[in-house]
Amino acid sequence: MINIKDLTIKKGNKIVLDNINMSVEKGEFVAIVGPNGAGKTTLIKAILGLEKPFSGEIKINGYKPDDIISNKILKISYLPQKAIVNWDMPLKVIDVVLIEHLRFFGLFRRYPKEKLKKAEYWLKVFGIEDRMNSYIKDLSGGQQQRVSLARCMVKEPDLLILDEPNTAVDAVYNFKMYETLRRLTDEKNLTIIMVSHDIGAVTTYVDKIMCLNVRLYCHGSPSSIDYSEMIKNVYGEGVEILMHGRQCKNCPVGVNKDD
Amino acid sequence: MIESLILKAIIAGILVSIPLSFMSYFVVMRKMTFSGVGIAHSAFGGIAIGVMLGINSFLFPVIFCLFASLFIGFMFKKGGFSEDSIIDVIFVFSMAFGIFILSISKEYYAGIMGILFGDILAVASSDLWAVFFVFLIGSGFVWFFFDHLNLITYNEELAKINGIKTDILYYTFWAVLSVVIVFSIKLIGIILVNAFLVLPTLVGLNISKNYKGVLAVGVVSSIISIVAGVYLSYLLNTPAGATIVLFFVALWILSFAFKRH
Repeated sequence: MINIKDLTIKKGNKIVLDNINMSVEKGEFVAIVGPNGAGKTTLIKAILGLEKPFSGEIKINGYKPDDIISNKILKISYLPQKAIVNWDMPLKVIDVVLIEHLRFFGLFRRYPKEKLKKAEYWLKVFGIEDRMNSYIKDLSGGQQQRVSLARCMVKEPDLLILDEPNTAVDAVYNFKMYETLRRLTDEKNLTIIMVSHDIGAVTTYVDKIMCLNVRLYCHGSPSSIDYSEMIKNVYGEGVEILMHGRQCKNCPVGVNKDD
Repeated sequence: MIESLILKAIIAGILVSIPLSFMSYFVVMRKMTFSGVGIAHSAFGGIAIGVMLGINSFLFPVIFCLFASLFIGFMFKKGGFSEDSIIDVIFVFSMAFGIFILSISKEYYAGIMGILFGDILAVASSDLWAVFFVFLIGSGFVWFFFDHLNLITYNEELAKINGIKTDILYYTFWAVLSVVIVFSIKLIGIILVNAFLVLPTLVGLNISKNYKGVLAVGVVSSIISIVAGVYLSYLLNTPAGATIVLFFVALWILSFAFKRH
């Protein structure tokens, strides 16, 4: 579905992504992990056509991202980092879930019934249907993220791109969120690319992990990755690996760096 | 005669306050109120040229405002400068340029007072058509593109992946706002037009938590301020523009009593 070949992205003179080669198949759940400043967000923005390559190319089903967006070839949903969303707007939860339902002369128009039904369904899936008529700024950070997930799914996307969706989400719901996303890939053949710092959980739920720190250090199924090597390459020396055996042998639950 | 002047002032005031109230929602929500201040003050240079040449035309200030808005947008998006710093440069340049031009003309004092504080009671019947045109342009633009502007305000990246040409819409928004501002300056002046870029939405946010309510309250409070301000200025023999804005600020303070938390 997505093929990235020799992708390099620069910001000014600084290389933020260096010669990335990777692929994502339809129906895969892929996690991109790496430290702050590793280029994770830049990579997903490049897939969305929001960042332009310095060299190399990205093809989604054979098309460039810009063509996908302008010709609406695929339905893509995107959950940006929480910090860059304007949560202070006087919008109800339902307004946010349907904010991508764009109409001309939309100011005083009502939402179509089928859109409202879909919104209600997805709010229920993410366990927040009782707040449908609440104001978005009155919700907690974790609840706002769940509303954003419902917004993404209302579009019935072919490709779902999530940038740290579990920011501010509590531990219990974090687990449920991963289960829901896993179920969506299994049942709806939805392709998901997710940036996450939750290195422990992603090993349990995703099909593929990409370890990024400007360069791509690993790219494969959770069980195929040499975590001690990956942690050393991506997070640096002196990082303690917290091991836990779940889906795969030696999958880590997290990392801890000694200061 | 007086009744006719007041009626024309009120009609003109209402016609410019409605698009300003609509646009104020996005100016406040995008935290760009200083941009409005910058663009309004950039008109000063254009108006000063008109005063010096003895040409009472909207052409010069519109050109100045359009240039300022496009320059602010371009330097912010492409130049890597903060919006505030670019606006400050535009602000001081336009004011200095305007003062410089007016100082070498004979109309210095009268010109500067008119530009800064406006004269809503001096609206001619022919101006009403121009103001009506501005009302249609400003209100129509927001009404037509509301969903798109709303999404850009919520998150610009989301707007882009939904196929919205955000740069074009951003520049168009500022261009339309420039036109509305220039026509408003004649009525209430540069200093006071900024009040109409902020206060409608601030009052709206106190009274309503929903965007439709915020917009509706913003428009209604603007209309009340125009009508009451013009009428009070007539009764008290005070400058209309200043009276309108003082009333609007009082309304904003009063609206705290109804604030919904």
